[in-house]
Amino acid sequence: MTDIRKGASLPADGGAQKGIIDFATQALRQGAVDAVLIPRRVTAGDSFAYFLIRDEAFLKEASPLPPIMPVQGARVISSITGYGRSKTRIAAIMRPCEARATIELAKLSQVDLEYVTIITMDCPGVIPLSDYFEGAGEGDKLFEDASQNWSSEPMRPVCRICDMFSASGGQDIHIGTLGTRNGSIMFTANSPKGEDLLNRLGMSAEEDISGWETRVNKLIDERKKERKQNNDALRAEIEGIDKLAQAFSTCINCHNCMRVCPICYCRQCHFDSDNMKFGFEDYLTRAEARGGLRIPTDSLLFHIGRMLHMSLSCVSCGMCEDACPTDIPVSQIFTLVGDRNQEAFSYVPGRSVDETLPLTTFEEDEFQEVEQSYAAVSAGQENYNDQGIEVRQGRKR
Amino acid sequence: MVKRIGVYVCECGNNIADNVDIDKIIKTFSRMRNVGIVEKHRLLCSEDGKEFLKQSIKQHGLTHLVVAACSPKQHEQTFMNVCTAAGLNPYLFQMTNIREQVAWVTQDKEEATDKAIREIAAAIARVAYQEALEKRDIDVSPNVLVIGGGIAGIRATRVLASPNRKVHLVEKSSSLGGKVKGFDKLFTKMESGPALIDNELSSVKGDENVEIFTDSEVEQILGFFGNFEIKVVNKATSEARDLNVGAVVLATGFDLMNLEGLPRYGYGKLEDVYTSLEFEEMCVPGGPTGGNILLKNGKPPRSVAIIHCVGREDKGYCSKVCCVYSLKFARMLKDKLPGVKASQLYSDLCVPGKVYQRFYEETKGLGVEFIRAEKTDVTRNGQGITVSYESKSGPKGDLAADMVILVPAMEPANDTHRFGEMLGIPVDSEGFLAQEHQKLAPVASSVEGVFVVGCAQGPKSILESIVQSEAAAGKILSALVPGRKLELEVKTSEISETFCTGCKTCISVCPYSAISFDDFRNIAVVNEALCHGCGVCAAACPSGAARVKNFAFTQIYQEVEAILR
Repeated sequence: MTDIRKGASLPADGGAQKGIIDFATQALRQGAVDAVLIPRRVTAGDSFAYFLIRDEAFLKEASPLPPIMPVQGARVISSITGYGRSKTRIAAIMRPCEARATIELAKLSQVDLEYVTIITMDCPGVIPLSDYFEGAGEGDKLFEDASQNWSSEPMRPVCRICDMFSASGGQDIHIGTLGTRNGSIMFTANSPKGEDLLNRLGMSAEEDISGWETRVNKLIDERKKERKQNNDALRAEIEGIDKLAQAFSTCINCHNCMRVCPICYCRQCHFDSDNMKFGFEDYLTRAEARGGLRIPTDSLLFHIGRMLHMSLSCVSCGMCEDACPTDIPVSQIFTLVGDRNQEAFSYVPGRSVDETLPLTTFEEDEFQEVEQSYAAVSAGQENYNDQGIEVRQGRKR
Repeated sequence: MVKRIGVYVCECGNNIADNVDIDKIIKTFSRMRNVGIVEKHRLLCSEDGKEFLKQSIKQHGLTHLVVAACSPKQHEQTFMNVCTAAGLNPYLFQMTNIREQVAWVTQDKEEATDKAIREIAAAIARVAYQEALEKRDIDVSPNVLVIGGGIAGIRATRVLASPNRKVHLVEKSSSLGGKVKGFDKLFTKMESGPALIDNELSSVKGDENVEIFTDSEVEQILGFFGNFEIKVVNKATSEARDLNVGAVVLATGFDLMNLEGLPRYGYGKLEDVYTSLEFEEMCVPGGPTGGNILLKNGKPPRSVAIIHCVGREDKGYCSKVCCVYSLKFARMLKDKLPGVKASQLYSDLCVPGKVYQRFYEETKGLGVEFIRAEKTDVTRNGQGITVSYESKSGPKGDLAADMVILVPAMEPANDTHRFGEMLGIPVDSEGFLAQEHQKLAPVASSVEGVFVVGCAQGPKSILESIVQSEAAAGKILSALVPGRKLELEVKTSEISETFCTGCKTCISVCPYSAISFDDFRNIAVVNEALCHGCGVCAAACPSGAARVKNFAFTQIYQEVEAILR
């Protein structure tokens, strides 16, 4: 590190959420942005949704860190900006996993970020939808108590093993809230756009943020360990086609996991398309060949197909698992698969919009281990290619 | 529609019959749904066999055809022609290989038969879902685009232009002639470079079959052999022209290495230290000194040191022509300034062959000094220059000189990599455009119809460049015959307007630049004239909006299902 990173601080006597709302209010009032996209309690009071807010009065009831994630913010930005651009400057206040998914969608031209400033905050996680709605009003308190002391216990299983809960990439501004002293919150600009917004609001980076960074890094280390443990344990349960089929055996083919996934951006999912509809004779032929055929067919193929299509961009947000009516640990399974696939390509989804999607970039000397020459293998030199050169594993960046 | 699939198994003499139980195959499929008839034949590719197949298709009213025989590489076209003759769309035919991939790879007849049955089942499953397609062809364009107006490009243009073949010659600078027009003398005959160029140009300029673009850049090259779509932009007027050509010749030439990174030679800092090209410029009669070799102070030099191999170690390759042109420099010096002392500081001399070796001996005979030197440093010393050097065999030495001529490494012209990227031609580790094969395809590139000649592919003499231009021209003349039709790929990709969500992934992976983006409709669109049907877009498109005709999901899925059954 060449110099100590500094951040701008704002008082947040009323708590971090209030501090973030105050910041958004100032941004709107001073004309630094034209609109704020932020979660807010719905009018009926029993859930939360994203609101695109032009009037600062609406911000009073905003909830930058709602206890649940009923919709992924990346999908919200996509629906706003994906069909034609506007020069309206939007500050989008969202959780880090939502920001990372937004970046992935930007790489896929489903989001136009030119006039969007993404603002994230340290995220304590969210509690599962079912726990919140079944808890008869207890949900808010459950979340508040847990997030006060950064207890991940009631949170989504993938939130508990999330090591990217802080400034993990994609955001223009990050707001540090983890253990900040005296009720103040810390703003760091992570892009020129973010810097510009802070400057317009007269917020200068004068505060030493190393204490906050140390706390964040410590929690990241703990979470990495937990993530590995969880992945290892899950892997023992699901590895191999038989175990995997068993893991998804209760799937009812509702495809909810795909519908709520921020990365599943297809206009129509391949697995809902006519491609997966067969004539009676096809079913009959398959039934003949196997003696009997489970219908609907190909439900495991759907999950494997989705892994193939989106696991490199999976940000482990947990939407899929929340949406599963039969409690399949979808998100944990996709986290395990995603982590391994992403590692193979040295790819971190959502880190930067400048990084290209791994499957669209060809590198000649990657994955030589899967191009093993027969000659080398039969000579007992599994790690060498035809030319006797040691092969490289995966993709290096 | 009722499907009547005909399945024909070829015995291929004994080639297949000996190792596959064909009767079992016939028994297996004859009661299968959709299969109208299963028959075998001794040799389907024989005249008798083809006639049998043709009559069978007609007689049984077949809607689809499967032939289980040899490799499709060998006879797919044969049987497609039979289909056409019998009135069946040839794309409703599927061939499966039970010879090379079955009969010939095992001695176990039982296993071979099982595999053959799976392969045929897969072909039957797929063919039922194939669609009837129509062949399309376009006229080849006999015209040629030549990029680079140096000696190589001019010669290619000269050979290629004819009344039924137009050549478009694009040069980025304001005039044709390239480096050679600035060489007062050429080795080894010491004839005039400008005169050589004028002679070449005389047959190109004014030829109505040649269109010359100067001050122009090629901004786009799409397409394939016989049908390239080109965009040329005039840098001065910003005027753009679209051209259609059948082949492209890249003759983009070389530049000298930038010497900023080699301060030891004093270039750019010390007076009277020149690069080889600057010395050439000085010697041209129309040049800044009127063709006189002069120091900055206006006096002629009494001693000149020519330093070879400048930057060779950094580049890691020999620039091949410098030794000989350095000898030429000594001749030019001796010719213009008879009393001058000319010294060659070389580390290795490369003057091979019957002509160059004699040229070297003759130059040496003129009293030119040859010093084997390494680690040369050039410094100012009062009025003169000191060249200090180390030598492998002898002691260190200092050489006093009035003028120093540096002979820097040749490198690809600065826009070479741009053409590499535009066309998908790899550049080699030295940055030059790679030939398809060093020995067997020395002027072809990895892109069919695109040729690389002259210094664009590495340091070359004028002679070598001309030889390459003529070789490329020969290739083009024999292949791009005016009036010939070019058959387009039938199994092209198509993108569903309904399902495309505009993510542009297909555009980023298409190796033929055959997909463009429709900003208005927010969807990707395939140019069928450019599409080769490779299927990369279909593989990359997660929603299946991109599909390749007859390699669509359903066809492949049915095939895989059947083979695994």
